[in-house]
Amino acid sequence: MVPRCMLDGWPNPNWSWFAVSRKMLCVGVPLKRICLARKLFGHLQGSRWAQRAAAAPDTRSTPPPRIKKFAVYRWDPDKSGDKPRMQAYDIDLNTCGPMVLDALIKIKNEMDGTLTFRRSCREGICGSCAMNINGGNTLACTTKIDTNLSKVSKIYPLPHMYVVKDLVPDLSNFYAQYRSIEPYLKKKDESQQGKEQYLQSVEDRERLDGLYECILCACCSTSCPSYWWNGDKYLGPAVLMQAYRWMIDSRDDFTAERLAKLQDPFSLYRCHTIMNCTKTCPKGLNPGKAIAEIKKMMATYKDKAISA
Amino acid sequence: MAAVGRLSWYCSRGFAPFLLKRNLLTRHQIAAVSLQHYPALWTSQFHISANRHAGGSKAASLHWTSERVVSVVLLGLLPAAYFYPGPAADYSLAAALTLHGHWGLGQVLTDYVHGDLKVKLANIGLFGLSAVTFAGLCYFNYHDVGICKAVAMLWSL
Repeated sequence: MVPRCMLDGWPNPNWSWFAVSRKMLCVGVPLKRICLARKLFGHLQGSRWAQRAAAAPDTRSTPPPRIKKFAVYRWDPDKSGDKPRMQAYDIDLNTCGPMVLDALIKIKNEMDGTLTFRRSCREGICGSCAMNINGGNTLACTTKIDTNLSKVSKIYPLPHMYVVKDLVPDLSNFYAQYRSIEPYLKKKDESQQGKEQYLQSVEDRERLDGLYECILCACCSTSCPSYWWNGDKYLGPAVLMQAYRWMIDSRDDFTAERLAKLQDPFSLYRCHTIMNCTKTCPKGLNPGKAIAEIKKMMATYKDKAISA
Repeated sequence: MAAVGRLSWYCSRGFAPFLLKRNLLTRHQIAAVSLQHYPALWTSQFHISANRHAGGSKAASLHWTSERVVSVVLLGLLPAAYFYPGPAADYSLAAALTLHGHWGLGQVLTDYVHGDLKVKLANIGLFGLSAVTFAGLCYFNYHDVGICKAVAMLWSL
């Protein structure tokens, strides 16, 4: 398989490849056969691509270029005294993939190798390429380029975060906060650990839907004004939603303790139901609701459970 | 340990460009700190939870519940005061409005006022404001027409 980092170029002959082998995997074709098919296909694919490339200048009537302007936030920590600035790039959309991440990769590959950003999966499952695009926090890989050529697309790093370089924010605090909620199963009685699975009813499992899908891209937390002003002490929507996910897990024994940990004016109660988190979530989740549920649980949980 | 110190320095200083040489950005400084061995140190780098008020008390959640209760009571009190004006409604309104405003403004202060001294001063100021408001409303109820009548008079203008 082609390594992920090789998939930067667009259009890339390997891509169709990727799709073919994945589809086969889906229908459960044995691995051996896939390998065989891959070898066979690989030749076909390669030669077909070569043919197309050779024939291209004759057959293709060149469409008029569709030049789109991108303004990208730039700041280089290695240049002493460098001030943040917006740098404009013109991209022909005819030779660029459809997503904002494609444009950024094109800029980095062909125009300006110094442009720095995080990306990995290019399919909205890793959360690396979270950034502020045209005023909203989203994933660059799942956001289509606005094809209105008269408008400049503006790309900033996630708002109100320390910037490491260009579009790369420092997420250390975010990750430390995630660590602080102990996002893993905790049992009072560990003697049965590893002996058999901790089973859940279908209903209990369903309660985790809409929570476990979070990819921790930090779009929601960095869209929250409360997190902007009190990000050091307020946990933020992403982390609170994960806290809730473990609170309501039927297999977890530390619900009351998890709740008690939020008993201060900042960790949880800086949420004022602004709902920017839910509005911006690129995965369509609802952290605002999760926080509201935590607040309800906070009002009713029993202290006694902690000592038990 | 040196790495921890440097990390904390770097966090407390914010992002002065000269601190951000490439060697600071590589992972080794974090990797050098075995997080399992220094969990306390690690979490102390970032003030993750201001758990000063915790310690088993349910103060924060009780405060939240009280806020909701006062809001709901106020929702009922307004029509009640319209239909049954009188001293009882006047003084209840004075108390509920003051409390509602006090807690609401308190939230604003918690959000926006940072620094121990400033927080203290702001809280004293807020307490003074609320006390004066409540005293003023009571004075108005006792020596003048009262809140219900005053609102009615405003509407009849």
